[in-house]
Amino acid sequence: MPDVTFINPILSSIAVFVLLGFGAYVAAVINRVLTPAPRGARLAAVLLAPIRQGFLLLKEQLNCTERPDMMLWSVAPAAYATVAACAFTVVPVDSHLAIADVRTGIVLFGAAEALAIVALFLHGWSPNSHLPLIGGYRFVALGLSYELLSMFVLIAAALPAESLQVSQIVSSQAKIWNVVRQPLGLPLWIVVTLGITFTGPLNLADGSDLAAGTAMEISGRHLLLWKIARNIMLTVFCAMGASIFLGGWHGPLLAGWAWILIKTLALMVLVSWIGKRLARLPAERAVLYLWTIGLPISFLHLLQAGIEALV
Amino acid sequence: MNTLWTDIAFWFFSLGAIWFGWRVFRTDSMVRASFALLASFLNAAAVMILLLAEYLGVALFFMMAVEMTVMALFMVGFMMNPAGLNPMMMVHQHALSILFGVVGGAVLAAVAVFGDFPLREMGPAVGQIDQLGTELLGNSMLIFETAGIALLATMLGAIILSSRSNRFDTRSDDGSMPPPLDPNDPDSVPDIEQEEDQAGHSHHHH
Repeated sequence: MPDVTFINPILSSIAVFVLLGFGAYVAAVINRVLTPAPRGARLAAVLLAPIRQGFLLLKEQLNCTERPDMMLWSVAPAAYATVAACAFTVVPVDSHLAIADVRTGIVLFGAAEALAIVALFLHGWSPNSHLPLIGGYRFVALGLSYELLSMFVLIAAALPAESLQVSQIVSSQAKIWNVVRQPLGLPLWIVVTLGITFTGPLNLADGSDLAAGTAMEISGRHLLLWKIARNIMLTVFCAMGASIFLGGWHGPLLAGWAWILIKTLALMVLVSWIGKRLARLPAERAVLYLWTIGLPISFLHLLQAGIEALV
Repeated sequence: MNTLWTDIAFWFFSLGAIWFGWRVFRTDSMVRASFALLASFLNAAAVMILLLAEYLGVALFFMMAVEMTVMALFMVGFMMNPAGLNPMMMVHQHALSILFGVVGGAVLAAVAVFGDFPLREMGPAVGQIDQLGTELLGNSMLIFETAGIALLATMLGAIILSSRSNRFDTRSDDGSMPPPLDPNDPDSVPDIEQEEDQAGHSHHHH
């Protein structure tokens, strides 16, 4: 592999745009399928529902609050989606192929994760409204709590590969996947994914107790972009989970990209299903559990992964 | 092609770093100032990556993201400006700060332009992360680990000392004493327990 590979910024941007657009659409369909419907829905109706809802939102009037920070309010959903897209560039999309397979892959991914907290906080802060603001503050508390878990999980995945590069981490799973040799990793990663996508039990930012929290004051295309951004984040974190725990492109018969697609979709269904089944935790309890249970488990996980990598 | 993109990226991120740095002093809120500073740091980190300091640049991304978030929230918390939403002046001593800013900037720019830097061809930065790792976990390991654990213990200690687990929790206040109202008179400690009792008492009569 050449040391410095030139990546055309325009072509790679288009690739990221198309792949994540598809991911966001699939996430919306999964959400639709998992939501109990009063009558049996036809497949076509299920597949078209996100698009129809999208067009409806495009036509809807935009809401405005009293003296919002208009610039940050408009930028926040785009920033949240953009950091997700940046994180996606290090995740393999085919055998030994990522948009930008940099040597510091998991560090870049962790950086994008930290910046997502900033985007979400600003989304709650900028409308100048109290419930969104509380949602933003809560998310920072949650974000600082799951952030450490996420770092330990990523570092543990890098240990057997002896590399921070995501493709190397996938290559190291040729014989045995990380989900088997680091059994605590995937459950922790699912917690992190639920947290950063403010889903189900960890929906502290946009929970119904805050009347939709940071999304309370938005409507129309602003709300559409926010929903798409959240689905993009879900896609990216599930794609990363598939790469670092489920062996990425490794698998019999099918091509590398097909295995990545299947594993990513499986994780998206699993995370969405957990999000639908578990009730939202109160903010204090969520943070308490993450620090007193999640953090010691992630220490244990790192220790186990380290010993496993040495032996 | 490659160098053209590199040049475009360099000017884009350099000007971005300067512009956001300037915005820090032109906004009217702690939150905007903190995140303008963050944007400036992100642009500077991108320039570091262009200079092949890949790991340090990327590490700067996540360090600054968390750091600036925490800083923004703490500043809002201690500024008595509700949630940082009310406009406020971000600079003090205008004339002096402008003078120092201009002089400091000019000195740094002069060093950059007129300084005699060694012109070395940079090889591919393959071994960089290894070298950094060897440095952190080799001879300097004891220093870094001691500092790291001391900082972690301090943070956890501060959180444990300052937190109440919920609104019904009174245990975390056990044994603590409010500071005296008059610094010269140690007896002027407000009797919080009694006040709370009275408040609770009157509440029951409603």
